[in-house]
Amino acid sequence: MAEQNGDSILLEMRGITKRFPGVLALDRINLQVRPGEVHGIVGENGAGKSTLIKILSGVYQADEGEVIFKGQRVVHNNPRQAQIAGITTIYQELNQIPHLTVMENIYLGSEIMRGPFVDWPEMRRRSQTLLQKLRLEIDPAMTLGKLGVGQAQMVEVAKALHHKADLIIMDEPTAALSLTEIAYLFQIINELRDSGVAVIYISHHLEETFEICDRITILRDGQYIDTRPRDEMTMDDLIRMMVGRTLDEQFPKENVEQGNELLRVEGLNQGSRLKDVSFSVRAGEILGVAGLVGAGRTELLRAIFGADPIDSGKFFVNGQAVTIHHPRDAIRNGVALLTEDRKQQGLLLHLSTRQNISITVLDTLVRARMLIDRRRETELASKYVDSMAIKITSLEQLVRNLSGGNQQKVVLSKWIATQPRVLLFDEPTRGIDVGAKVEIYRLMNSFVAQGGAVVMVSSELPEILAMSDRIMVVHEGRVSGFLDRAEATQERIMELATGYSNQGSANAAQE
Amino acid sequence: MAAESGVESRGQSTNLLGTLRRVIAGLGPFLVFLFLFVLLLILSPAFRSPTSLGLLLLESAAIAIVACGQTFVIMIGGIDLSVEAMVSFSGVTAAILIAGSNIAGGQVANGIPAIYAVLIAVSAGLLIGLFQGMLITLFRMNPLIVTLGFRSILLGISLVWTNGAGINIVREGITDTITSRIPLVGDWNLPMPFVIALTIYAISWVILRHMRFGRYAYAIGGNGEEASRLSGINVNRIKIMIYGISGLLAAIAGVLVMSRLRSGAYQNGTNMTLISVAAVVIGGTPLTGGKGGVWGTMIGVFIIRIVEQGMVYLSVPSNAKEIVVGVIIVLAVLLDVIRQGEITWLRLGKRRVET
Repeated sequence: MAEQNGDSILLEMRGITKRFPGVLALDRINLQVRPGEVHGIVGENGAGKSTLIKILSGVYQADEGEVIFKGQRVVHNNPRQAQIAGITTIYQELNQIPHLTVMENIYLGSEIMRGPFVDWPEMRRRSQTLLQKLRLEIDPAMTLGKLGVGQAQMVEVAKALHHKADLIIMDEPTAALSLTEIAYLFQIINELRDSGVAVIYISHHLEETFEICDRITILRDGQYIDTRPRDEMTMDDLIRMMVGRTLDEQFPKENVEQGNELLRVEGLNQGSRLKDVSFSVRAGEILGVAGLVGAGRTELLRAIFGADPIDSGKFFVNGQAVTIHHPRDAIRNGVALLTEDRKQQGLLLHLSTRQNISITVLDTLVRARMLIDRRRETELASKYVDSMAIKITSLEQLVRNLSGGNQQKVVLSKWIATQPRVLLFDEPTRGIDVGAKVEIYRLMNSFVAQGGAVVMVSSELPEILAMSDRIMVVHEGRVSGFLDRAEATQERIMELATGYSNQGSANAAQE
Repeated sequence: MAAESGVESRGQSTNLLGTLRRVIAGLGPFLVFLFLFVLLLILSPAFRSPTSLGLLLLESAAIAIVACGQTFVIMIGGIDLSVEAMVSFSGVTAAILIAGSNIAGGQVANGIPAIYAVLIAVSAGLLIGLFQGMLITLFRMNPLIVTLGFRSILLGISLVWTNGAGINIVREGITDTITSRIPLVGDWNLPMPFVIALTIYAISWVILRHMRFGRYAYAIGGNGEEASRLSGINVNRIKIMIYGISGLLAAIAGVLVMSRLRSGAYQNGTNMTLISVAAVVIGGTPLTGGKGGVWGTMIGVFIIRIVEQGMVYLSVPSNAKEIVVGVIIVLAVLLDVIRQGEITWLRLGKRRVET
């Protein structure tokens, strides 16, 4: 932690403390970032990463401690001041305006003017230069919304370059990126490093953090734990420091005997998004669905669940043909969908834990044909709160105020309450602590152990590989192959996911 | 994940401070009403009579019923700007059917019994409300525009049918019953329109708080529409029915106003839209919906009415009424924004940690 090699320091945060009513969010945090360094900050949810970068970027002000940037003590009262000083933050949810053009977004708030008028030709020329620096082939006059998430993120980087940032903070930059886009982002980060720009990199993906960062700072419960060069620790060290204990198993896979086919999908088509998708899943089975971003994985689950209309396709539940036009139909047939976007689609953030858990089964909690039986509703909710170990202060606590892991358990509760046979599980552990992830896996295990089936979409290959009994890979809306647990490797999945299925099978033959 | 750092703080305050804060927030509007009421009792001797207190209830009844419907609509994050036109329209419809002809001046000739006229007017309100709901849900039209359009349509019809004058009726049967008074002790009595309003509020409370339909309404509001749909709720049906309820209640209010004035005129509902929205918001249902309820709305109605009446008792020129109503509405929306914690420098001690 002491200054090493007398290297120059770009940013130093000393004894940063931040209190929110009733909680010490940051407790004397220290951080040193050198020019041209990629510095990772890791920690579980609630460890204080977000609060720390918000102080750095001027959203919050520290209660105690000092920030020294480029040798000067600074206090940034708002993001604009931080940006002018040379600190730019690229947030997880991009602060972009999709209906404006790329150059308008880059120059938003700092438009090039000629007198009272915007100098469009000059803005276009300079945007072009910035984009070329990043080797992006994007027309600056293009509407930003037409770009993919990956490219839109690169535009944010271009914007940071325009602001001549010395320090770029990236908060979960890869959350919505495909693997190729991630590789590209890393290339850009490397180039930024070479040109002397420092990057603070925050991610839930520990593998990525390990890959790209020079040094990593670990926070836990608002406390500073340590800063170490990447080369001087292992992934296990990192996880141990983050969690404060050893995790016996990251992926507690259990083998369950498989039974009857519970769900079969035949010839599912939906516009250009899903093309002739057919598969089935059996009782006791976890079917992993892998593929690149935009390959149609989420669309597939939504289509099966009746959330979006389909062009053609047949569904069989328990061997019986069923029609599903609305989520209601799916629920009635014992199918449940846990969406990727928990907050907007899975939870009723403005309602209580009790109301969220009971929402799917209110019709069974009615007495005198009309009135909700509050007593039974409370019993039902507390049953799941106990069995899933959901941490809440009371059943009336708003789910808005729960942590990611507990929110996911509430979503799981409301679906288990419908007594489903098939769980369609989209990104089950996205944005969830390492510790809570294991609990979600265990709940998934017990669900299949009781004769259920899980279709699990995930972008995290280690999760797919460890938890699935069988893996279905999709590419551009088509099923490009199935892999058994025993034969599946990251490489084989990627081959199928990127569409090199012929090469893939050739490789397979060689092996 | 940005929300995490706030978890503990909220958790702890849910028990003690939180409860206290919620009680105060819940009672807030009521305390305001009580303050205004006592203030007026002190300032104006004329206000202290049973007659004027009865008048306060009577004057509040119709708008309270309209605002009750508005509460349902705002609960699901919608808005119904057609209510004041509906009040006029249903009054005009009932009056024409009772009077039997379209003669301004109130000649009773060939009319149908009042009860049927009222039933027809009220059913029309329900159907028009349902129809608006269908346009809003099935064709994904903006509720603001749809209901604003129907406001013009319904006012226009009322104007055409009446030639701009009032259709006068003679009270009989149901129109007589619903304008009667229930005597209490001595000079005190309870105006029937207010009893009707109270009944409607009680039923609405049961629906919202204790029935599935109401729970679903709470779920759909507060940006919960997609999550509700994915939970298997037939969101469209709930929304259509809620616009139906709003139309129905506005039509009932229209009949009450018409019976009381003995005249169906296109001005009968004037200002009721704005006042109903303001009452809902003052009463604690935010414009995004998802929380609040009908009793708060009733308090909201009382607050607005007592301010209006106070001006009369304190001899403020009646021309200034519009100004005060406007100020109340703007203040109500400001209150809504403050309650939501949207204004960073004015959070009423309710610090938001999440982004």
